[in-house]
Parts: sequence; structure tokens; C-alpha cells
Amino acid sequence: MVRASNPSPTPERAQSTLRQADIEKRLPRSAPDALRFEPGVFVQQTAHAQGSAYIRGLTGQQTLLLFDGIRLNTSTYRQGPNQYFFLVDTAIIDSIEVVRGGGATAYGADALGGVLLVNPLRPSPREGVFPSLSLRGATADTEMGGRIQTHVSLGEKGRLLLGTGARRAGLLRSGGPIYSFVDGKPPAVPRFAEDGKTQLGTGFVENTADIRWEYAPSPNTLWTLASVGYWQSDAPRTDQCPPALARFDECLRYERQDRLLTYATWRHQTPKHAMHATLSWQHQYEQRRNDRPASFVLQRDKDSIETLGSSFTWTFPWRLGSLRVGADAYVDFIHSTSSLRFTDVGVERPLSRGQYVSGSSYVTSAAFASNQWEYKTLSLNTGLRLGWQYAYAPGETHSGSTAVNQSWWPWAAHVGAAWQLHPSLALLASVDRSFRAPNLDDLTARQRTGPGFQFENPHLKPETSSSAELGLRLRKNRLRAEVWGFATRLDGLLLRMPRGAEACPPQSPACLASNARYQLVNAQGASWLLGTEAMLRLSPLRPLSLQASLSWVWGDSPNPALQAASSSGPPAGPSSSPSSGPRRMPLSRVPPLHGTVEANWQFPFGLQLGGGFRWALRQTRLALNDFSDVRIPLGGTPGFAVVDLRASYRFKEKLLLALVLENVFNSAYRYHGSSINGPGRSLSFRVDLAAF
Amino acid sequence: MPLPFPRCRMAFFMLACWVALLAASCKSDPPPPPGDAGVDPLDCPSETTPVLSDNVSTCTALPTDYPGGGWPACISDSTLDEYKPINPSISTLARVAAFEQIADLLWRNQRIPSIEDFHSAREIYAQNEGLDSRVQRREDVHFDVLPDGKACNQIENPEKYPERCAGPAKILPILNDAFAKGMLGETPRIQARRIEAALLWFLYLSSLAEVQSCDTNKNNCDSAWAYYTGGTPRNAPVGLAKYVRELSEETHDRAYDAALAVRCWRDVDAADSATRPDLQNLALKQYDTALLRGISLTLRQKAAEWTCAHDEGLPARQAFVQTLFGLMEAGVVEQQPGRAEAFRNLKKRVDTPPADVALFDELISSIDEFMGELFACP
Repeated sequence: MVRASNPSPTPERAQSTLRQADIEKRLPRSAPDALRFEPGVFVQQTAHAQGSAYIRGLTGQQTLLLFDGIRLNTSTYRQGPNQYFFLVDTAIIDSIEVVRGGGATAYGADALGGVLLVNPLRPSPREGVFPSLSLRGATADTEMGGRIQTHVSLGEKGRLLLGTGARRAGLLRSGGPIYSFVDGKPPAVPRFAEDGKTQLGTGFVENTADIRWEYAPSPNTLWTLASVGYWQSDAPRTDQCPPALARFDECLRYERQDRLLTYATWRHQTPKHAMHATLSWQHQYEQRRNDRPASFVLQRDKDSIETLGSSFTWTFPWRLGSLRVGADAYVDFIHSTSSLRFTDVGVERPLSRGQYVSGSSYVTSAAFASNQWEYKTLSLNTGLRLGWQYAYAPGETHSGSTAVNQSWWPWAAHVGAAWQLHPSLALLASVDRSFRAPNLDDLTARQRTGPGFQFENPHLKPETSSSAELGLRLRKNRLRAEVWGFATRLDGLLLRMPRGAEACPPQSPACLASNARYQLVNAQGASWLLGTEAMLRLSPLRPLSLQASLSWVWGDSPNPALQAASSSGPPAGPSSSPSSGPRRMPLSRVPPLHGTVEANWQFPFGLQLGGGFRWALRQTRLALNDFSDVRIPLGGTPGFAVVDLRASYRFKEKLLLALVLENVFNSAYRYHGSSINGPGRSLSFRVDLAAF
Repeated sequence: MPLPFPRCRMAFFMLACWVALLAASCKSDPPPPPGDAGVDPLDCPSETTPVLSDNVSTCTALPTDYPGGGWPACISDSTLDEYKPINPSISTLARVAAFEQIADLLWRNQRIPSIEDFHSAREIYAQNEGLDSRVQRREDVHFDVLPDGKACNQIENPEKYPERCAGPAKILPILNDAFAKGMLGETPRIQARRIEAALLWFLYLSSLAEVQSCDTNKNNCDSAWAYYTGGTPRNAPVGLAKYVRELSEETHDRAYDAALAVRCWRDVDAADSATRPDLQNLALKQYDTALLRGISLTLRQKAAEWTCAHDEGLPARQAFVQTLFGLMEAGVVEQQPGRAEAFRNLKKRVDTPPADVALFDELISSIDEFMGELFACP
């Protein structure tokens, strides 16, 4: 049967795979949350309904999200963490492959830090109609939700998977505030209810629906038509609900956050050839609402992004191995508005522009070729991608928004080798060059960010990563171990440069009035990320499995304040002197040394008992903009250690009962850079019933 | 096609005229609501506007005032006409600029503000990180901080501690009400003056609040200067400083000196957390005295203008005076308990001014006299 999924990582890549079986055991709250035990991944949360995976020190727009091979990244992905991976429903995930390190050659632009490949559930091949029901809940946020889905076989060649779900989460109770190890004070966000543990500005509602139809006219061909919808509502952005110094009732919330991905794929596979073509349409919509009820003011921003995508790949054998060639293109169309409503008099005033300039568009396209050559114990993988990216934004006179009409021809390349030194031991090495061209968020957006107000820079250039990694992979009987080391040089890295009021674009009062203002600039000079990762999987006894991971990343870049001093306009860094300070500074929000340990005992009758342990050391290496980021306590984020206990019972495909006692010791903890603290001691459950 | 009969043509013509008239009446703008935009040249033209005579000849600077022998040498000494910011990028300037924009729309240039003016003014007022955001959190430093680490931005605290939480508890309701009424076309000049008075008081409180918080955040000293002057040199002020300078150069000078004193304190006491509360208190006291006198002069001037005001201009000035009296009350009672009773009595009279001309003139004199005594020297 034809395989329907993302292109698999080549063997020399550092990667791990999260499966639905892991999700059943861990009961994560979201797709990003599901990655917390993956090696080299650190999940930051700006809000309860958001989550962004740091992979090798990079996140958001510098990592690439693919769903069933389709690019999810749009040109509005902002710098730093974003919420978009949260909009993938864990219930429809078959597996997530985490590819660490640059991956633009194989997967596309933006993959500087890594790639998340989501492989969705597929309809069951069994004959008949198989409805199932899944319920889940958690005490920490009084979450309740469920999903019904049906597998339907339509004759021998067709099959269908239909599903819909809903979930509501309330305020998230933590183990309590965390405190700065410098002044002993808690960070300004989030605010807590009177119990000192329940975090204000949390909670959300989500609805999902999906349909997937697969038709196999022959054993070699598969047509897929699928649509995956996610609709989130009433999701406050925790660090702005309320903002650090504002009244208790001011709140920025995502009134609506939708993604509808509809696509059709054709796959044809023979023993020698594989072809794959996709057409997709992604609708992404955000409606943000900033309430200031004490002043009867309501600001509403609406951004919609329509992305049309297409891709084609052909894999075939030739004299020097297996060659994969292809091309892809994605075009974004942006509509963005903003308005101010005075609720006491019922008057609404449109503002001259939204977060983006309406009518903007963006093209991400490339042609690529990669080759896999195997000789005895050596596997050599090479690839090249040539991209063309184009950004267009009309000018907007009233807001003083500069028109953008730029294109770039970036390129990426990859050379990697896996050398089987011994039947159980492989040496893995690769050199990679990946790229990311500035997107419309970088070039045109005006927005409040954690550290302050960020305004556009229409003159940005692409950022590139050049990395080398070396790994050892041991696979022997019940032992699997990997250790990796990597060094990544980032050229033209986008940094938040502190800016003075005089640098604000015209007609941008919110920029002028902000205490801290930033503009993205290409770093003048190289930035570096160095790190190691280790992973161990061990099964000393047949029912017992142990898994552990350890990750460390160190990142630094030129000091953007010095760059500001040498450019027009003085900087406005928090307590920073315009032309002084260290020559280099840490990169923003790079995770501290962290690790995980998991144990699982599988009983023969379907019962599993286990536990998880997550820990992180304190992070004191802060970038310039981290100092004005109210999410980070003065001096840095304290370390933590959290223990979870798990139990699950599965009876064939008919029944699943899963329980997780999360944060057994009710620790107060926060992943570095997050607005919210992790859940306090709480119980999560999941019940699946299937008529199989 | 020609119509067959002249009568029919006439009837058609009349019908057409009627339809045209109807259409014209439908198309025409509705009649302007009372107080919509227009010029009001008769309302206190400059030649008849009373000019406040300020006499500070008997006043002498305190030995502890800046510049003076009680102060150590510092950065402010070299350029007494200009403040040297700690950080040249001062977000407060945008808020004072917003105040100036609102002033141009609502109460300057002898314009009667239109509904659209109020819409635009409120849009400026409500901008993110703008005036509204700071009014909502502004505290009056004359009153004790809230107990048990509470803050004015927490639920119910503005109601429980209205004196300390002056921004959300006192200024904000005035501004909300005045903007809303102005946007509905209700007594625009009155609402404009209420907004003016409330924002002037906000600028005053803000200058002092920033001096207070400058002990842990040095950039706030710049804000203390900016809230008063709009970030301008001594002889070209905007915002509150412009009001004060137009009525009393000496009072403005003392206030500007106080801003320099604040800067001097943080020059001498440059650590991130200040260690010289003595200098901070001296600067704060100097600033407070001068600014409060400046506010009182503005109030006296507006009261004096009652004599030349016409139509809505008269209640507009009353509204200004009433608004400021209301906002000043708690401070006067707290700091001048001996004058509290007299202040309250005067406030009652201001709140219900007499219709009789003689009594009215007497009230104006009383305000002038009382305020002149209460805030005699800058």
C-alpha cells in the first residue's frame, strides 16, 4: 500500500518520533505539550492556549511545521514563540516526527532550528463502519472535552475517516508563583486569583472537525482528499490579560483563532518510482480583542491569511542511488483590519491599518533535488534547494507604512552520511545550510510583543543557518542510545534591536508611547548555537522500558544595542547605555540545560504503569530584550523538577482508560520565556470507547 | 416624449419639484446637533479676557530648593534651561503630545468642538499605552500606599482607596463621562473643559508619581520632567508647563527647577536603587508646591473668565473649576486640615454658583482670594 505521510528523515538526521501511543500515556494538553519529552525540544507557552516548541534553541518562524507534507508556516509567523502548533488537534495525530537541525533542503524554507512533521490519522483499512468516542478531562484547568469519530470503508478501494471534537478549559491552577532569585519577587505576569495559584488570563474553548477520504484505484496509487478544521475561541493571551501594570480587567484575548486546511494529494508508488502531488488551501484567521472595560474601549484586530499551495515530488533510482526531485509553491494573501469601539456610546472607528497591511501577499517557492546513495555500510545523502520568495505589501499613507516589493533567491544544501561502524553502532554526520527569508510579519507588522512594541522593518534580508552535526547511534537488543553534538552559525539572524521613539514609523502612537520599542534587524556578524543532545532507551526487563533525554544549547549573537548605536537613532534598551555593553549577548530565550526521564511497566493484560520526570536548570543567560520581557523574572527563570505518574489500560481497540497524576509534588515551575506557570498537582484522564 | 396637456405638464413639474425637494431633504445632512462645530469668537475674546495678576514679590525660595546651596554639584547645574534626560527615548512624550492634540481638537483656538472632534480626541486618548492606560493606573503619592502589597490595578481597590487610586477612582470616571457626552453631542464645551481639567490634574499627579517611582527606575525621572514640560526646554514649554508659564513665569521656573532637582538627585544618587531619599523628598516637595500653584493659577484664571463668558462658555468654565475643585479636595483636606472647612464651603458654592450678579462676582473673588492664599508662593 502507498505510504501517506511526510517525507521521512534520512538516517543521518537527529530525529525522534512521538506516536499516538505516547500521547495516550502522557495525556498532553496540546500538540506542543505532547513534545515535552522529546529530546532537544523545550516547549514555551505565552498563553494557556498557545505553545511553541524550541528545537535547538530556535522556535516559531525559525522552525517548520508540516502537516501531512503540507507547509503550515505562513508569512505571518512572528519572531519568537507563536501559537500555531497548538492549533493541531492531538486527537488526529498518528505521529509527530521531530527533525532537529536545519532542514530547509528536504522540507522547505524556515527550517533553521528543525522541522515538526505531523502525520495524521488515516482511515482504518478494516471493512465496515467503526464509530468511536473519546473523552478527556483535567482537574488543573477543569478541562472537559471529547471527540467522536468514525471509520468507514467504502468498498475495497475507498475509506473515510470523519471526526469532530470539542473542548473547554477554565482557569489554569498552578503550583503557585515562581520567584526571582535576584530580588525574590514574582514576575509581573501572570496575575493570580486570590488563592495565589489560579492563573488569570487562562482558559479557552476549541472545536475541531476533520474528514479524510482515501481512494486507492490500484495498489500503487492513492488519492486523498482531506480537510482539517480547528476553531479556537475565548483564549486570552496570558501576559496581556491583564498586561503587567494594567487594571485587572484589561485583557487581550483571541476571540477567534481558526485554521482550516483542505487538500488533495495523489501518490503513485512502484517498487522503483514514487510520485507525489499535492494541492492545498489553508485558511488561517485570527480575531483579537483587547478590552479595557474601565474606559469602555474595545480594540478588535482581524487577520485572515489564505494560502494556496502545491507541491510535486518524484523519487526514482539512477546510477548514483535514489534521486528525489520536486518543486513546491505557496502563496499567501493577507487581509488585516483593526478598529476601535467605544462601548458606552456604541461608536466604532476603523483604524488606518491592522497588524498587517491589507492586500499584502507572499510567495514561498522552490525547486529541489536530493540523492541517497548507499555503499555497503555507508549511506550518503545530499540535496540542494533553490528558492524564490517574494513579498509584497502596499504602502499605507495614513499609518506611514512603507510599501514592500522584494524578492529573494535563497538556497539550501545538505550533505550527510551515516556510517555503520558496527552492526549496532552508527556514526552520523551532516553539514547543512538552511534559509529563511523575512516574512510579512518581519517586514510589515506592528504589534505588542512580550518585551515591548515591535515595528516593521521593510529592508530585512534573509537569515541563513550553516550547521554541522555529529552523532553516534547505538542500537543493540533492548538498548537504544544516541548522542549528538552540533554547531550552528546563523548569518543575518533577525534580532530585536532596541529603538528610540524617534525611530518609530510615522502615525504609530502606540510605538511612541511604549516603554520599550524594538525593530527586527539582521545581525551584523555571526550568531552561534552550540549544543548537545543525548537520548537513551532501555528495556532491562521485558515489561519495563526506560527512556531519558538530556539537552543543552548555548547561543549568542552580536549585541543589538551596539548595532543600534551605530545606526540611526539611539536605542532604548532597558537600563542600557546606548553605546556600551558587551560586544556579544546571549540569544533570546534559549532553553537552559534540561532533561527528561520516563519509565513504563507494561503488564500482559493491557495495563501500563509509569511515570515521567522533567527538569530544567535555571536560565540566567538573557538577551537584551529579555530584560524588558515581563514573562522572565528578574535575573532569569528558576529551574524546576516535575514528576508525573501514569496509568493506562487498553483492551484491544475497544477501550482505553488513561490517568495521569501530573506534578505530583505540586511544584511551582515555568518553562523559560513562558507567561504561564505549569499546572499544579492535577489529574488528567482519557476514556476511549470504540465499536470495533 | 412631450406630455399631451399643459396642465399635466404643470402637474408633472410640481410633482417633480416635490420629489426633488423630498430627495434634497433626504440627501441633506441632518441639522447639526446643538454645539456642533463652529467658531465662538464672542466667548471671551482676548481683549476682554481678564488677566490674572500674579504677585510673588514677597516669596523667597527655600534654602533647600534647587538650585541652591543645599544641593550637591550635579549634571543639572551646567544647563539650567534644559533638562538632560537619562535615557533620550521617553515614552511619556507621546502622552503629552496626545494631550496637546486633544487640546487642539476640544478647547483651543476658540472652536466649539464637534462630535467628530470628540471621536478623534477619544481615539487619541484611548491609544494603546496612551493617556488612558496611565490614567487607569495613576496613583496620588500624597496618600499612603495600599496596605499588604495591594495595588490600584487590582479589583475593588480603586473603590476602597479612592484617594491613593486617584486615576481610576476619580479622574477616569470624569473622562469617560465627558468623552461619552461629547461624542453624543451633549454640551460640547462643558465636556471639553471637564476633560481639560481632568487631564491637567492627571499631568500634575503623574509628574509627582514619576518622581516617587524614580527611586527604583531611573528612566521615570525623565517621565517626571516630560509629564510637566512635554520634553521641552524651559522657555518653550508645552502641556501643563505651558499653562503655568502663561500665567506665572516664576511658578514655571520653580517647577522647571524642580524637574532639574529630580535629575540632580539621580545624578548624585546614580545606583539602580536610590539611596538618597532626602534629596528625592526635597525635589518632590519643590515640584509639588510649584505645580500645585500652577494648577491653582489655571483654576483662578478660568474662574475669572466667568465674567466674560457667554452662553455655554460660562458653564464650561464652571465645569472646569468644579472639576478641579473636586479633584483637589482630598489633597487639601489631607495636607491643609486647617483650611479644609473653608475649602469645602467654597466648593459648595462653586458647585451651585449663584444667579445673582453681585453674589457671582463675590464668589469669583473668593475663589481668587482663597486659592491665592492657599498657594501663595511657588
